[in-house]
Amino acid sequence: MRLARTVSEAALATEGVYSLGTGRYVEAATYGAGEKVTGVVVGPDEVRIHIVVRYPLPEPIPALAERVRERAASRVGGRATTVVVEDLEVVPDENL
Amino acid sequence: MRIFNRIVMILLLAGLVYLGIATIVYIFELGNYQLEDLPDALEFGGLYEGLNGYLGNIESGNVGPLDVVVLSAIALLGLVLLILELKPPTPRRVRMQQGTYITRRAVEREVSPVVEQEPEVLQSNVKVKAQRRPGAKVRVRASIRPGEDARSVQSEAQSRVQQHMAETGIPVSDLRVRANESDPRQTTTRVK
Repeated sequence: MRLARTVSEAALATEGVYSLGTGRYVEAATYGAGEKVTGVVVGPDEVRIHIVVRYPLPEPIPALAERVRERAASRVGGRATTVVVEDLEVVPDENL
Repeated sequence: MRIFNRIVMILLLAGLVYLGIATIVYIFELGNYQLEDLPDALEFGGLYEGLNGYLGNIESGNVGPLDVVVLSAIALLGLVLLILELKPPTPRRVRMQQGTYITRRAVEREVSPVVEQEPEVLQSNVKVKAQRRPGAKVRVRASIRPGEDARSVQSEAQSRVQQHMAETGIPVSDLRVRANESDPRQTTTRVK
């Protein structure tokens, strides 16, 4: 659970990430005693992060996903890290 | 393939159940049945004889051209089904780079508004398929009014989508846009 929370915080702190995804057919989450972390699935060998990207994009989507992956990879202790861009959310430009 | 496999398995299992029940009935001699009567009851006798004669003809090379065609078609069908069965399943998500993916729905939601920016397009229907290699296979069906120049709409929409996908960085390995004339009363947008 702690690992899922750490990864979730790292992903959300990345510029361009609007929120964490919830999965479509199966809920993407890590479950603990009485709580769950949505958007991060921690397995024995793999950590999967579902993100919703903020639009307009600060950089191309693959580069953003790779940045999230790199940030998370340093915190997952040797597990393979996968990033899934689940959706895009249009956010009004604050400068307008 | 899954539906075909299920039908075959259902027929096979139904046959096995029927055979099993018949065998149990004969083993325990329920009613006036004898086990030696089972092949006759199942009417296997005619089948055995027909199969025996047919295989004898094949062995002696006494086969008609229609039989050769049917047997070859069965062998070919078996080969195709085997290849389809051995093929690994198509991935659910579109691969961008090593360890990064985007869902098909997200790609659809990116493509659809771009196509509908074309003034002639009243409605778009986007289908995205993930591939084993990086990049998505995108098929777009754009509905236009009767009498519009479908070719120019197709090429403009295609270049617009390509440009947008290049800007966002979503890899598209195969993109095809098709413009179809539709009745505006049946599309989501009637007037633009």
